[in-house]
Amino acid sequence: MSLKVFEGLKFEKKNTVIHRLDARTKGLYVISTMIIAVIFTDIVPLLLLLIICFVLAVMAKVVSEWIKTMKGIAIFALIIFILNFITITENRINQSIAMFLRFLVLSASFSIFFLTTSPDDFSQALLKMGIPYEYTLMLTIALRFVPTLARDIQTIIDAQRSRGLELEKGNIMKKIKNYIPILIPLIIYEIRRSIMIAEALESRAFGAEVKRTNLYETKLSLIDYASILIIFIFTILIIYLHYLHILPSIFYLKLPEI
Amino acid sequence: MKEKIIEIRKLWFKYENMFVLKDINLDIYKGETIAILGENGAGKTTLIKHFNGLLKPTLGYVKVFGKDVRESSVAELARKVGMVFQNPDHQLFAETVWEEVAFALKNFGYSKKIIEKRVKWALEIMGLIQYSNNSPFSLSDGERKRLSIASILCYDPDIIIFDEPTVGQDFYQKERLAEILKLLATRGKTIIVVTHDIEFIVGRFNRIIVISKGKVIADGLASKILTNIELLRKANLYPPQLIYANYLFNEKKNISYIETPREFVKIILRRVYEPKSL
Repeated sequence: MSLKVFEGLKFEKKNTVIHRLDARTKGLYVISTMIIAVIFTDIVPLLLLLIICFVLAVMAKVVSEWIKTMKGIAIFALIIFILNFITITENRINQSIAMFLRFLVLSASFSIFFLTTSPDDFSQALLKMGIPYEYTLMLTIALRFVPTLARDIQTIIDAQRSRGLELEKGNIMKKIKNYIPILIPLIIYEIRRSIMIAEALESRAFGAEVKRTNLYETKLSLIDYASILIIFIFTILIIYLHYLHILPSIFYLKLPEI
Repeated sequence: MKEKIIEIRKLWFKYENMFVLKDINLDIYKGETIAILGENGAGKTTLIKHFNGLLKPTLGYVKVFGKDVRESSVAELARKVGMVFQNPDHQLFAETVWEEVAFALKNFGYSKKIIEKRVKWALEIMGLIQYSNNSPFSLSDGERKRLSIASILCYDPDIIIFDEPTVGQDFYQKERLAEILKLLATRGKTIIVVTHDIEFIVGRFNRIIVISKGKVIADGLASKILTNIELLRKANLYPPQLIYANYLFNEKKNISYIETPREFVKIILRRVYEPKSL
């Protein structure tokens, strides 16, 4: 099982410019990347977005983790490429590569966000944006439990393999059936764990009527304001130029079709 | 000379850029009862996962019944090496207790007749036969633990490994577990128990291996190792209470191996009533 994909979501504290940026700034970067990636169906701009992602990964010193995620995602991207290639009739190669790149760009920017933003900062940012605490906590817990879940899955797989279960045996239907002894203990175990978490939260006065206070208040720094301004201007400019068709022609460069 | 069933030479194991096992050399013989002791994170569980091939050595080799674990699949090794995991909830999934025990036998492709015989036998030994048609999840903690043992016992592996079997078990369940271990030992099984429950070990195992920070720091008779307070301290373990109490009673001069409270009381009484004889 390729649990390596999840490593791209594992936050590790590091002291870099990117890590110090506010979650809202990084969130804006992800959203603007998404908007641009959806607007363009050309290879060059998507490639540029991917390069920007890579530069950010280098700046944040998370290149190896980032590449691991990309490797894990590559298989899905490949499936998207193949499906597009089969179904599209005109402009096949350009379209399929663009779709492939679009998926990579989206997951790459998300990966950068989660690699450099602590779950606490993330929930703080959501709180500041007016989302109720119950929901932000739900998200924090979900993120926090991804590695724990991965470890549980590994233990269960080990336990069942020790009883002679061979996951790779048989045809495709048999292979799916092979996962039943993994999934049932996992679901039951995690439901039990969630009940335990709920009890632990309630015993620490979760859901009290009083208004919550925060120990740390995140504030936007000067670099944050500057970054937000740059991202904003850049995104608006690109979209504006794209719709006026006055972007340099290199942006719309196409590969020859077969 | 007893038959050597597990041979480990120069075993190093790397996990996330760190060596968790460093230069392990061990021989395990048929019919031994072994306790592997060590603090949390010492590498005990990592070591035993090499015995049935769940983990493969980074350097060196592990041979089980003369065959390198790198050359056999987990399913092949599991037939000879049974492993009971710490938490039964990590493996129970079937609709009935009977089906749960039959799972491994089906995986190994036994015939229906043999499966029925073996499941019945394993459930009887573990005292669970009356629950055959119940759901595994309706059982108590101790019963679930015994069910996880039955699900390994059923296919009669030569080596049985228990990972932290006493965690979360009350006194009665521990005693029951000890009886099961004794029974298996009399049937000629090789038993390996990984634990940090030092009180459970006293008088129940003939060989003890102490692991600390990925290295074997001691390997020998229980009577030698459990009386070596300095060594146990090194592995962050507290000596068995009876042995330590007797050591303190003798003004830290003389340390002897005591297995039962009765023995301890005898020594104390002798000292009180015949002070000159000591």
